Amino acid sequence: MLRYVARKIVSWTLMIVLATNLTYFLANWFLDPRANYLQLRPPRTPEQIDRALSQYDLSPDTPLLVRWWHWISNIVLHWNWGYSPVGEAVNGQIAFRIGVSAQLVLLSTILSTVIGIALAVYTAARQYRFADRFNQSLSIITLNIPVPVAGLAVVLLAIAFNRSLGSTLLFVAGAQSPTVTGFWPLVLDRLRHLALPTIALTVINYAGYHLLQRSLLLDNINADYVRMARAKGLTRTEAIRRHGLRTSLIPVATSIAFTVPALFTGAVLTETIFAWEGMGRYFVTTISKNDVHGAVAVAAFGALMTAFGAILADLAVVALDPRVRVTGS
Amino acid sequence: MTANIPGLEPLVDDVSSVPSAVEERGVGRRHTSRRRLYLRRFLRNRGAVVGLAILALLILFALAGSLFTSYTYTDVDFANLSSAPSPEHVFGTNGAGNDTYAQAVHGLQRSLVIALAVSLLTTMIAAFVGAAAAYLGGLPEKIILGVVHFLLVVPSFLILALVSQRAHGDWRVLILVLTVFGWMFGARVVWSLTTSLREREYVQAARYMGVGPVRIVLRHLIPNIGSLLIVSFTLGVVATVQSETALSFIGFGVQLPDVSLGTMLSDGANTVSSAPWLFYFPAGLVTLLTVSMALIGDGLRDALDPTSRSGGRA
Amino acid sequence: MSVPVLSVRDLEVSFPSEAGRVDAVRGVDFDLHPGRTLGIVGESGSGKSVTSMAVMGLLPDYAAVSGSITLNGRDLLGLDDRQLSKIRGRELGMIFQDPLSSLTPIFSVGRQLVEALQIHQDLDRDVAWKRAVELLDLVGIPNAAARARSFPHEFSGGMRQRVVIATAIANNPGVLIADEPTTALDVTVQAQILEVLKLAQAETGAALILITHDLGVVAGTADEVMVMYAGRPVEKAPVDVLFARPRMPYTIGVLGAVPRVDSAARAPLVPITGNPPLLIDLPPGCPFEPRCPISVARCADGEPELGPASRTTAGHTVACIRADGIEDGQIDGAPVYPLPPVPESPAVALPRDQRPAVLELTAVSKTYPLLKGALLKRRVGWVYAVSEVSLDIREGETLGLVGESGCGKTTTLVEIMNLRRPEHGTLRVGGVDVAELRGRGAERELRRRLQMVFQDPMGSLDPRLTVFDILAEPLRAVGEADRAAIGRRVEKLMELVGLDPEHSDRFPTAFSGGQRQRIGIARALATSPSLVVLDEPVSALDVSIQAGVINLLNELKAELGLSYLFVAHDLSVVRNISDRVAVMYLGRIVEIGAVDEVFEHPRHPYTEALLSAIPVPDPQVERTRKRVLLRGDLPSPTDSSPGCRFVSRCPLHLTLDDAQRARCTDETPALTGGGDVDHRNACHFR
Repeated sequence: MLRYVARKIVSWTLMIVLATNLTYFLANWFLDPRANYLQLRPPRTPEQIDRALSQYDLSPDTPLLVRWWHWISNIVLHWNWGYSPVGEAVNGQIAFRIGVSAQLVLLSTILSTVIGIALAVYTAARQYRFADRFNQSLSIITLNIPVPVAGLAVVLLAIAFNRSLGSTLLFVAGAQSPTVTGFWPLVLDRLRHLALPTIALTVINYAGYHLLQRSLLLDNINADYVRMARAKGLTRTEAIRRHGLRTSLIPVATSIAFTVPALFTGAVLTETIFAWEGMGRYFVTTISKNDVHGAVAVAAFGALMTAFGAILADLAVVALDPRVRVTGS
Repeated sequence: MTANIPGLEPLVDDVSSVPSAVEERGVGRRHTSRRRLYLRRFLRNRGAVVGLAILALLILFALAGSLFTSYTYTDVDFANLSSAPSPEHVFGTNGAGNDTYAQAVHGLQRSLVIALAVSLLTTMIAAFVGAAAAYLGGLPEKIILGVVHFLLVVPSFLILALVSQRAHGDWRVLILVLTVFGWMFGARVVWSLTTSLREREYVQAARYMGVGPVRIVLRHLIPNIGSLLIVSFTLGVVATVQSETALSFIGFGVQLPDVSLGTMLSDGANTVSSAPWLFYFPAGLVTLLTVSMALIGDGLRDALDPTSRSGGRA
Repeated sequence: MSVPVLSVRDLEVSFPSEAGRVDAVRGVDFDLHPGRTLGIVGESGSGKSVTSMAVMGLLPDYAAVSGSITLNGRDLLGLDDRQLSKIRGRELGMIFQDPLSSLTPIFSVGRQLVEALQIHQDLDRDVAWKRAVELLDLVGIPNAAARARSFPHEFSGGMRQRVVIATAIANNPGVLIADEPTTALDVTVQAQILEVLKLAQAETGAALILITHDLGVVAGTADEVMVMYAGRPVEKAPVDVLFARPRMPYTIGVLGAVPRVDSAARAPLVPITGNPPLLIDLPPGCPFEPRCPISVARCADGEPELGPASRTTAGHTVACIRADGIEDGQIDGAPVYPLPPVPESPAVALPRDQRPAVLELTAVSKTYPLLKGALLKRRVGWVYAVSEVSLDIREGETLGLVGESGCGKTTTLVEIMNLRRPEHGTLRVGGVDVAELRGRGAERELRRRLQMVFQDPMGSLDPRLTVFDILAEPLRAVGEADRAAIGRRVEKLMELVGLDPEHSDRFPTAFSGGQRQRIGIARALATSPSLVVLDEPVSALDVSIQAGVINLLNELKAELGLSYLFVAHDLSVVRNISDRVAVMYLGRIVEIGAVDEVFEHPRHPYTEALLSAIPVPDPQVERTRKRVLLRGDLPSPTDSSPGCRFVSRCPLHLTLDDAQRARCTDETPALTGGGDVDHRNACHFR
């Protein structure tokens, strides 16, 4: 078992390294850090710009492979992910942003999985009745609403809600208020900020789980072993819950891993809409500011998240499915 | 359906055999062609029919919408900056004085062209790469799958943004990059389906008859994944609209002066409380577009897939 | 007569469908008495499984059920799912067809048994676990205490079916329903499972409903038999009466359509023409009327009721208006089904050794690497799928290749069809060594002479091609380009296999299973081959259809002078169609010889056991037959050490002394005849 996990980690690490380096070369190719200095007043000479960029290993005059070597050895030796064209350390930016994004993504992943699966169990037992048809239509719609539309719709609803309440219960912008102190007030403040973006991300994501889990469950409801469980004396609902659900969770667990990239894209948009200074927002900033090192760090983070999701999904499958357990160990 | 209830058989597989077998016994019912059966099954899906109607209206709007306004999407009406919908500007105007209606028509056109082109290209690449991997087998298959897997893992959205940012929002470049990073998932599906087809007895039969490999692919494999490709094309349109909107929204897709539904959304987002019409109209159009395509894709899958459950629920 | 535990009256079940309402069950009545066994026999779609599902209350919601089902004085039809769940498992036990999918894959078998016990009995975990182990032991799971912790995928099919039986009897139900309990199993395992079923019934005193399409299984197990056709019982009688004096033409036909392992080769079979009706908008009249050889105008007027006919004994009822005149398979002195003439092949006029060989395998072997691991596949051993197989087929001859699943018969077949040099040994087709095959032209010529018919009549025909294109494909593959010639040939082929050439523009879905298999046969004959390889060609067909296809194969062989390699697991069919037979076990041929010789005087202990395990559709014979039950399951073919591969299950091995036993385990027996060159077997002591 341990060997299996170790092997997985090794192969994913390889994947991350490859993806990060690929992004490094692409970013150097497509982003031009000189642009950041060209707009400055008074105008700088090319030599000045080059000198400024050289200290951050960003000057296009230095051969790319030399820059790459500096960049990678700094990461490996000092865990230093480089600097932006104007000299901000990437490490410093990322440190607090990861936490900000993580709360958002984690919470909405948990919520959308739980809601999606629960809804699937509920509707699958009522196949083709009103509750099923209604929820299925709703899921098809929410699954296909573009993220900005869903996000802004949540904003509009929240504004209307706050207005009718007469006070701002839910914040539509930012991750926290700067003036709040004390533990409980802080938690409350966080929650009031977290609520809307989490709702937005959850609305977008739950439907995928609902539809997948529902169709898997329906396949399983007709499976021979569920019929046999009923023949033993379980009611239909019990048989589905005890025998059908756990078996049909296996493919869903696998699919969670592959939704991570989509979730990341969703987070980029949600953070933009709700003005959260997280990794998603950083992603937009780095690219528009030609911040090569920052963009690469975002890519590495994205790949790491995917790997993390995939390994978790593998472990979940192993926990759920004894057939894998035997061949895996 | 795994339950072995003989009476259920006509419900699920080979529905088409029922009418023709009846005919063989001389009852005299007419032979239902495969296409008519698909059509019947598609039309029975109410959501799909609604989706088709919405899509038809949207396309009509994109093609003929400009006939109903004297403004083009670049015209500026300095007398009306950020004005609410009125008889002069039925969808209102934005802060620069552009007519929102004219922009919506153009934006929808732009989004549709990008989505259709990308989906067509990705479906073709996916079919070719997926089928090639399955057909070649061995080392080529391993390499292709490895590349596909890797591309699924890399944060492709970031790379999309990188490339498209550099192109300054040229929609043709956007089509190119969306295609380059959009075909992998389809290729995997085509691959897995073709691999299972490869093991079918009729393919084996053809091989044992001495039918050549190219002929097997053309005659037996491709026609049998045709329905999957049609469905994957429709759902590809949805995915592309989503990606294009997202990219344009954060400023890395289509860029001014060109207009797509995504850029309009981004425009509307900034003024969502002061000038909400700038958000409502593009949001409505893009949502109608994605949802209608998704409903059509769903209906097509049910109609074309003989194992789907849409058959015969009286 | 005792009070019946279960009474079914006027049971009717219908389902909605695309084409209209399917009346799956149309009026079933029966009584089941304690300790007795009722066999329900019928083809697919006859309503037998739906009847059992209705009794269990396991039909889907959209099924419309009417009539009454009374269990221990209580009508089950009015009950909801919750009330029924109190009865299922406690008063009614069910055994399903496919043991591979009946057990939940993610729970250990012990846990699943414990669940069955705890649903109905207030037992704590330890007691329930102990009881579960006892039950597993009872149904013959070796080392039950340890095996209870294993998961279903760690058991073979036969062992899983034992677990299913243990679950069904866990709460001592008064009624057991077994729906095709042995259909998915190999014949030697079937014999074991039928024994376990009898044991379970004896243990619990339960009444048993045994649903099957296999008349042999019914003959050996049931007390009373109900024959169903088109959703209705058409004949019901005590088992001896039914088999000895059937009165309904359908029953007579089906009994004549089944080849028997104990009757000599190529006894002609009774084909029933046509197909069973679709149960949608049935016309009035007897549903068997369109296929019945003795139907009269009156038959189409109304559906006959199930009732006694003249001279029927007690308990024998039949639904046929002409039943009064039927006696011993004859009506008014003429047979109900006139037997077709036996076709004779002209090639057989020459003695066997003077005819040229169309196929020769000499010591052909095939191994596969055995892979393990979830991410990176590692080779952990070899599967010896086929080891040193030698056989030959002469012109105009049929060789039956038989054995249970995993014995290597399919691998042998694939090796032949690939036309590649085998790993070891030589393969000659039509006198040409395939290792010396050069160029596509030569291979194409060889393929023209060698064609194949597949098992699944649906899967082997491309659903997107018309029948014309399907039949034209092999012609085009061998280079025929003349459209008119192809058209004429296709028409000829359709006629040859008994299909209307007019229908060649249709898609395969428009044909029934039997017709599709005829298309498959026509395709194989398109290039006028000399050898046709048949892979289980009738195993997917119902018995009444099967007979027609077997007869067609026999006719074609005589008419066209074909040779067949007939691969099958059903020894009755093999006996009917073959001239010679080769029996395989774990990749080796253990016995080969003329078919009557091998079936009458089997020499290898495995052949003996295999033959004795096949049920015969005759209750009298079944009662007196001695059955050689094999222990255990097929071992996995990964062992290459010398010695006889059958030694772990061999009944003869147990009777030998130590020196002889050592010879079994140390020395691989050769296929020798002991003086008889034609009938050879691979056992040291036979």
